[in-house]
Amino acid sequence: MTGGAAEVAVATTGLTKRFGRTTALQDVDLAVRRGEVLGYLGPNGAGKTTTLRLLMGFLRPTSGSARVLGLDAWRDAARVHADVGYVGGEPALHDRLTGREHVRATARLRGGDGPGRAPELAGRLDLDLDRPARELSKGNRQKLALVLAMMSDPPLLVLDEPTSGFDPLAQQEFQALLRAHTATGGAALLSSHVLGEVQRSADRIGVLRAGRLVAVEAMEDLPARSLHRVRARFEDEVPAGDFAGLPGLRDVVVSGTALSCSAPASALDALCRRMATHRLADLECTEADLEETFLAYYGTERAGAA
Amino acid sequence: MLPDVLDPAPSPPDAVRPRAGRSARPGEVLRQSLRLQRRSLLAWCAGLAAMVVLYGSLWPSIRDEPSITDVMDQLPEVLRSLLATADMSTPVGYVQAELMGLTGPLLVILFAVLAGAAGIAGEEDRRSIDLLLANPVSRTRVVVERTAATVVATAVVVTALGVALAAGGVLFGLDLPLAHVLAAMLHLWLLGAVFGALAAAVGAATGSVALARAVPAATAVLAYLVNGLAPLVGWLEPVRDLSPFAQYQGHVPLASGVSWPAVAVSAGTVLVLGVVAVSTFRRRDLRG
Repeated sequence: MTGGAAEVAVATTGLTKRFGRTTALQDVDLAVRRGEVLGYLGPNGAGKTTTLRLLMGFLRPTSGSARVLGLDAWRDAARVHADVGYVGGEPALHDRLTGREHVRATARLRGGDGPGRAPELAGRLDLDLDRPARELSKGNRQKLALVLAMMSDPPLLVLDEPTSGFDPLAQQEFQALLRAHTATGGAALLSSHVLGEVQRSADRIGVLRAGRLVAVEAMEDLPARSLHRVRARFEDEVPAGDFAGLPGLRDVVVSGTALSCSAPASALDALCRRMATHRLADLECTEADLEETFLAYYGTERAGAA
Repeated sequence: MLPDVLDPAPSPPDAVRPRAGRSARPGEVLRQSLRLQRRSLLAWCAGLAAMVVLYGSLWPSIRDEPSITDVMDQLPEVLRSLLATADMSTPVGYVQAELMGLTGPLLVILFAVLAGAAGIAGEEDRRSIDLLLANPVSRTRVVVERTAATVVATAVVVTALGVALAAGGVLFGLDLPLAHVLAAMLHLWLLGAVFGALAAAVGAATGSVALARAVPAATAVLAYLVNGLAPLVGWLEPVRDLSPFAQYQGHVPLASGVSWPAVAVSAGTVLVLGVVAVSTFRRRDLRG
């Protein structure tokens, strides 16, 4: 494998997990490099949580393997965890214990180097560590789980929808924490079912559908691929064949004098030239947001494993 | 579209933060487990002690009413055998009949099974086991120390019961030889430990709280019946010694002290169950 433990924090090869007859994850090859945040996107049930639990050694791969910081995620789970901070999907806490008691227990389980960054993190996220967990709102429970995951400053963070209950201010603070984490060489795998949640923090995005990794894209490449919705009306009827075969054009519908289609920025020039061969009566062009772009590229793919 | 895992990476800063080798001190999981059960443990201790003192306070009137023993004598033999009745006119007989025969073991087993089932399967059910396992703590350690926590907690509960019994002796003239009280408590503890460890093992193997409670409960009822009915049902006699209840009071520790072979068998059973718990838990997926 290229890279090796030095640059790659997470590397899975052919990672597959079946529960009975259900295939939750199929042949996933995923890499998270040091110094980057990988946004792990997919609809609910696509296999995001399964992937993360495999990386934590909570589940055993049916086939394939997952290496985390150079070690096998299943066999060396305990050793791996010394360097990993984890926030689960619906973080479980001990209802009677306060935040501070959770911090103390976690510190002791991690070799007892005191509360570490916990007080600082709690302050930045505006979390009261003296309240028992049962009195915390969903957002505050997630904040506490995040504090526990990050308090020992581990090089890798594995976070399963960590901010879905956060208010915008906490979201911003979280993004700042992630930036500081990656600036010092830390890596993070951040799952979400909405792009907006990871859009600002992710360097790359992996898209999971029905247990398969269908795309990995650098965040900076996405705007170039963002689609434009184009609607045009012509003075005369236009033959449908005129707009077929233009590279990059999607969802082309021609009926009578009307045309509608989606085009990435790269296809706009060719499209305009082709439209100019007819008499244009009306033109509308709007840019779709990233969410729609994603749905357009990956939303319609056939579900289910081969 | 293929995942581009081999793309050139943005050059990562080389500040790596290695800390391999860190882990919790031995006994840390055990300590935290006991801390989490602190409240329920205290409640159980108080409840059991109160019950024992109540039984003790009844002793003076029972002692002066020998006809109760006559009533017991007239019970059918099956019932007497099952209820492990004894001569109610002596302190040993009274405590044996009222406390050590059925009520005491029943409650101690109930406590141990609930604790054993909660330690692994229960935490897994609520997912709070992630709080342990997301740290550099191996599954083996979690199972060993969680099972040990159940055994220790059972010892605490039994100690409360024993102390209350000794106090009853002083307060109500329920005179029992202290060495025999200690022996009885040792055997009661081991009885609880066996079923607590069984609950922990079933929970570790399956992750199901329901099974972790039901299997030991059913086993306990069966073991109790085997031990109680064996004197009357010939074919049960050979299997009687397999019953933890036979280990517990086949020799009536309150009258005859510790039986070391029985202690060895019970302790061995706990160890074997611990090994089963570890080897099954290491192999399977966590629920959730």
